Amino acid sequence: MTWVAWRQQRTETLITVGILALLAALLLPTGLDMASTYHRNGLAACLGPSASLSCRQAIDDFGARFDSLNSLIAWFTLVPGLIGILLAAPFVLQLEHGTYRLDWTQSITRRRWISGKLGLAIVVGLAASLLFTLLTTWWRTPLVHLEGRMDASVFDSEGTVVFAYTLFGLGLALAAGAVWRRAVPALIVGFTGYFAGRVFVDTWLRQRFIAPVRATWSASGPSPANYRHAWVISEYRSDKVGHPIAPLGACTGSTGAKRIIDPSCIMEKGTGYMHAVYEPASRFWALQGIETAVFGSVALALILFAAVWTNRRAA
Amino acid sequence: MSESIALEADGLGKRYGANWALRDCTLELPAGSVTALVGPNGAGKTTLLQLACGLSSPTAGTVRVLGLSPQEDAHALLPRVGFVAQEHPLHRSFTIRETLKLGRKLNPGWDDAYARERIERLGLPLGKRIAKLSGGQQAQVALTLALAKRPELLLLDEPVASLDPVARREFLNTIMEAVSEDGVTVVLSSHIIADLQRVCDQLVILSGGRAELVGSIDDILASHRLLTGARGDAEEVARVHAVIRESHTGRQTSLLVRANGHVYDSRWELHEIDLEEIVLAYLGYGRSAEPAPVPIEEAASR
Repeated sequence: MTWVAWRQQRTETLITVGILALLAALLLPTGLDMASTYHRNGLAACLGPSASLSCRQAIDDFGARFDSLNSLIAWFTLVPGLIGILLAAPFVLQLEHGTYRLDWTQSITRRRWISGKLGLAIVVGLAASLLFTLLTTWWRTPLVHLEGRMDASVFDSEGTVVFAYTLFGLGLALAAGAVWRRAVPALIVGFTGYFAGRVFVDTWLRQRFIAPVRATWSASGPSPANYRHAWVISEYRSDKVGHPIAPLGACTGSTGAKRIIDPSCIMEKGTGYMHAVYEPASRFWALQGIETAVFGSVALALILFAAVWTNRRAA
Repeated sequence: MSESIALEADGLGKRYGANWALRDCTLELPAGSVTALVGPNGAGKTTLLQLACGLSSPTAGTVRVLGLSPQEDAHALLPRVGFVAQEHPLHRSFTIRETLKLGRKLNPGWDDAYARERIERLGLPLGKRIAKLSGGQQAQVALTLALAKRPELLLLDEPVASLDPVARREFLNTIMEAVSEDGVTVVLSSHIIADLQRVCDQLVILSGGRAELVGSIDDILASHRLLTGARGDAEEVARVHAVIRESHTGRQTSLLVRANGHVYDSRWELHEIDLEEIVLAYLGYGRSAEPAPVPIEEAASR
């Protein structure tokens, strides 16, 4: 069955390899460039909490150069799910074309056929996820040093969540395909469901996995130690009695080409408090673990459903 | 149950939603026979074959193939049954070589030498893609796949429907070869009756999900007669023989009967009729309310 499953999934596997190769073609040169800029500009020395002015300048320059690329590459977080959906295609296409009847009337049982095909899709999906994570994690190393990896743009393509995203896409498309027996609707349902699920978790559910830290500190003093590189869910500034006030930006005006900051405004508003709700960077792996379990168990349930449904349902 | 019965259905029924695709089907097909399953589209032919190869499960009754249940004993039964589905679906992106490799990988009893020899005899290059083959060639490859697993029972669903007359003849010849060389039992569905008579020795007529007639073609031909006579009452005939179709033209009445022994009544003139006409009579007849099929052996044993 292994050969048969492989042969039936060959095209999709090659497309997956192609996607990863394209990704590597984009990430390898830019990643090397970023890493060498990081070292050349001595940014490693600027990582402490109290950076010198030249350090800040260097960090700003670095950000200006790579931030747009970084936000572009944040979109690649959709890639694992797309690969998962793609890998569901061989299974669904066989249901659509009726060629499963050919396979089912050879000498192997339906159960073995289903587990062989789904098993291979899962293995290839996980292998692709591994390569994807390794590639993006390597690429982002300098940025992570500077900005941490709690922000969704980084969190979503590192660690273990990527594997669960891939299986989630695969499971959605398989379940829709098992019921519908049409590849195109299954892929559309798979993609829509994947996108909706990811947005839901990113914007609503993730911050509820572990109750975030709520902290208040003097605006003129240092921020708490665990605030550094944290995922900031909300943040505002208040005056001394706790009324929210406009951020510091309100004190910024401009005359001609020069940006100026009004000192009296700072004097008036600057001495208040900072209030923030955030997940400290130390919770990275805990949050990764929970999110992996959430997507992973939904994915597993969907894949099992597709298997059982296909096995039970009449030809 | 005895080993000499290849396929046995008892009260077999299959319902899809509110519709019975097959209902109350009871029949026995002897091992070594070549059975034609005839009936209009939607009569239940495909359903019966899919139940027999385990692709679907019965809603009512039982089906046993080579003494085993296709649903519960799939592991033991599948290597012994070859199946070619309607439109003979193959993996279109596979080459012929890969198609044979699939057969080898998925069947423990695979006879690779036989498969290659057959493909060679068909003059098909192994490297050619299935999608590039003609319908007749695809049917032959599908048949090769089914035969090279060396089945005891071969189930073919409308195997010749999409083939031109030449391809159809070649296909049926292959089946006859397999029957004479290996003693394979064959059940094939079709609505082209002329072809079947050349190949088959058993006939099952399905209509509206029910088996209307089950028996050997020789017995069916021997027992069915067309009676013509002066227009009148057919009641007397019907008392002894089963009247399948009754028609009246002007002063004449003609009756198609399944004779219970000889027809001695001198008022009627006896005519032999061909299989096609018998089948058509049953299919027209299938719409009236005749309950379970009567085994033809009873009517034919004189």
